[in-house]
Amino acid sequence: MSHFFAAISLILAGGVVSLVFARQHVFSRAAAAILISAGCAWGLVDTVIKLTGSVTHSAAFQYLNLFFLAFEMDGLSAFFLAVIFLVCLLAAVYSFHYMDDPGSSVKTAVTGFFFSLLVVSMAMVVTAANMITFMLSWEIMSLSSFFLVIHNYQHVENRKAGYLYFVFSHVGAMFLFAGFGVLYKYTGSFGFADVHTLPEAAKTLAFVLFFIGFGSKAGVFPFHVWLPHAHPAAPSHISAVMSGVMIKTGIYGILRIYALLEMPAPGFGYLVVAAGVVSGILGVVYALGQTDIKRLLAYSSVENIGIILIGMGIGMIGVSSRNPLMAVLGFSGAIFHVLNHAMFKSLLFMGAGMVVHQTGTRSMDSLGGLLKSMKITGFAFIIGSLAICGLPPFNGFAGEFFVYMGAFKGISLDKIPFAVSIAAIISLAVIGGLALACFTRVVGIVFQGEPRTDAARNQTETGATMLGAMGILAGACVIIGIFPGWFFNLILSAVSSLNLGYERIPAAPFAQIAGHITLGALVIVVLVLAVAVLRSWCYRAKPVSQSGTWGCGFTRPTTKMQYTGSSYAFDIIQFFRPAAPLEENHVPIAGRFPAGTRYESRVHDIAERYMEPGVVRPVQFVFDRLRWIQHGDIHLYIGYILLAIVLLLFFV
Amino acid sequence: MFESIVLWLGAVLTAPFFSAVILKVKAFFGGKKGPPLLINYYTLIKLVKKGSVYSTSTTAVFKMGPVISCATALAALLFLPIAGHIPVISFNGDVILVLYLLGLGRFFTIAAAMDTASPFEGMGAAREAFFPIICEAAMFMILIFFYRMTGELSFAAYFSGTGTLALWQIAGPSLLFIVIAFFIILVTETSRVPVDDPATHLELTMIHEVMVLDHSGPDFALIELGAFCKLFFYAAILSPLILPFETGIPGAGMLLFIAGLLIVYLVVGIIESTIARYRMDKVPQFVLTSFALAFFATIITLELIQ
Repeated sequence: MSHFFAAISLILAGGVVSLVFARQHVFSRAAAAILISAGCAWGLVDTVIKLTGSVTHSAAFQYLNLFFLAFEMDGLSAFFLAVIFLVCLLAAVYSFHYMDDPGSSVKTAVTGFFFSLLVVSMAMVVTAANMITFMLSWEIMSLSSFFLVIHNYQHVENRKAGYLYFVFSHVGAMFLFAGFGVLYKYTGSFGFADVHTLPEAAKTLAFVLFFIGFGSKAGVFPFHVWLPHAHPAAPSHISAVMSGVMIKTGIYGILRIYALLEMPAPGFGYLVVAAGVVSGILGVVYALGQTDIKRLLAYSSVENIGIILIGMGIGMIGVSSRNPLMAVLGFSGAIFHVLNHAMFKSLLFMGAGMVVHQTGTRSMDSLGGLLKSMKITGFAFIIGSLAICGLPPFNGFAGEFFVYMGAFKGISLDKIPFAVSIAAIISLAVIGGLALACFTRVVGIVFQGEPRTDAARNQTETGATMLGAMGILAGACVIIGIFPGWFFNLILSAVSSLNLGYERIPAAPFAQIAGHITLGALVIVVLVLAVAVLRSWCYRAKPVSQSGTWGCGFTRPTTKMQYTGSSYAFDIIQFFRPAAPLEENHVPIAGRFPAGTRYESRVHDIAERYMEPGVVRPVQFVFDRLRWIQHGDIHLYIGYILLAIVLLLFFV
Repeated sequence: MFESIVLWLGAVLTAPFFSAVILKVKAFFGGKKGPPLLINYYTLIKLVKKGSVYSTSTTAVFKMGPVISCATALAALLFLPIAGHIPVISFNGDVILVLYLLGLGRFFTIAAAMDTASPFEGMGAAREAFFPIICEAAMFMILIFFYRMTGELSFAAYFSGTGTLALWQIAGPSLLFIVIAFFIILVTETSRVPVDDPATHLELTMIHEVMVLDHSGPDFALIELGAFCKLFFYAAILSPLILPFETGIPGAGMLLFIAGLLIVYLVVGIIESTIARYRMDKVPQFVLTSFALAFFATIITLELIQ
């Protein structure tokens, strides 16, 4: 573990140096970027080596008998750690040019510091080996990301997003505390070793509590409300880290608890698949309804968490129905998707960051035609979009393929597992189709066509570190998509530490599936190249000229006539009306010489819509009634403490 | 292997011919003589000989669109058993790959359309993005049915040899549902009446045709070839389902397969001549019917298997 601690110390040093030299803007940024990325690279190499060796490593510290910090790195931890280090490495590189803002050097340095703290705390979360370490790291992670969300605190909506995130992450943490409380009551220790001895009812209660707690971090519907507010508010490399890896710590938590409980109840699988189906479909429907590019990407994270949950749920059903192949396929597909989503979502956020950085707007309907002037960003974004739609030969397909294979194994089962597997497969198919609609929309509206406003006209892409980070991620999406075999070995070593009760997972059947993906990917690559060669042969010595777009007879087209993002998504949103109410505000055209008119539309998130009357107001009502308890008189407060202690003495 | 490649090439080369059958049927219903059966080859050759005009709004994506949509249609045929023969490539799960490959082609067709900044093409693209979502759900429902029946996830397991005859014997009634469901998917995915009208003259009412308005010359030839192959792909799935007979006479299998293909194309032509295109907002309901049929078929098999 010494390499691990050295790596996270180096990362933290990057943040501290950046803070100390806050006034030297360039030095501070460079120190943060170099030290954090160096630390991440160190950690990444170390974890991948450990992952291929798959040996459990652990370390423990004690401070005055009070603070017993314990860390353990098994296959599952190491895999998540590798994902965290990889994405944070590239995000740190990206941040160097992205955070170039000499006017607010202190703010930038503070953000650098909290970024390093976020990376370190995430690394600690996935290696924590007892409750204290876990909750400590979890809280540092939540708080540091809170400060990153309010980076642009001058804007009131960013502060609001920050508070919303703060409340959600702490209500989520409350559920985790409750869950840990249940564990502690039965095991009597802060360690995780004896968790599997709990009675069944307690296990079920603990799982549900943890699922809500971790689900709110992961962005599972309906606990995702904070996510589309907080992720766009943060700087783009932070959004990339938050969407790409931070929400995955919630997934890690669910997997870890599942492994610790060692209880193959079918109900867990049904619950997880149901949550995945709802998050997946609604996430992408809401993504389609967004006009803000970063909000869209945030909703798309909800969708991808849904896909991961479907995979996990299929795995759990596989375990409970004693179908090892289905179990391993489901879990490995889910874990694979964790890696893939980390790659393409951070790539997309970085691409969106470049667009926002250069044009100054996040509204898609003000953009257009950026591909002509931002070639690297544009094509990297297109690769990310193809990958997120799960299309071959990109990495998204590879992950979803495993989930599909697992889910189809469930079709041979009976009754409830059969029905749940059908739901999983059909919703994966629908999610795939909707994601395709959603991302052709982003690419088509933002990068293609003609600029809709001046903000999008003649923008160039700058910043070598930003372009480099995107290039590496785009390359990774292609390589993982074509050659998933090697990566899959790492995933299998993560799955094998899930305590599924299988002695040793044979690699051969999965290597075969990975080989099929490679074959399919190569077939399409070869055919595309062949057709491209054929095409250029057809075009040799042919007259090729340029002209305006055919306007179907209309000769004075303007850029305003282009299809907008809202109109593109309109029919699909209408189809999902009950779940995605569309609010339109339109002044009708009247008379022969109509006056100017306007049209506004907004897609509501039902979870957000019903949170106010359903949760916020009742809670507010109750606490308003209890306000008399808080009166500011310190004597009585001391009295409360005494009273509480006396009361507790009766119970403990 | 060699035989499979020859059959694949044969499929690609005869796909334009079969599409012309539809035109002939439509001409018959219109009381006209109609174009020759080789019309599509003439069109392809004519297009390949031409140059192209590109819109100033477009980028490289516009040129990638035809290449990728054609390549994905060709790739899909590689996995499909033709006349009961083993396909060129086959593995467990190839069905999923093929469905996603067609998705890849669709992504680039849409992207190429959005590249032109044309409001009409945007409209077509929005529809092209919408209807296949339901189609994909129906497709996977059909796949669930086939998996339930055969325990396999590859076209070769369903359609090569006597696979389909066995299926009819186990689950005849529900397979009838599947055939109808699949025909609806065929009509939707290949932009045929009553979902889309390839022969209409008003851009506002088109889906696929309007998306390729700005393509010309060899680019357009690739799109056309891709569309012929895609139609052939779906028809070649239906053909062994509607004529699942096993005669044992050498060569008869191929004849039956071609007869099945002709029946599919004839039915497409007849529907196109006798029914009007649905209003756009009715199309989702039409496609959902396909999903419902496949769903019922699967539920019925629950009884048959046990």
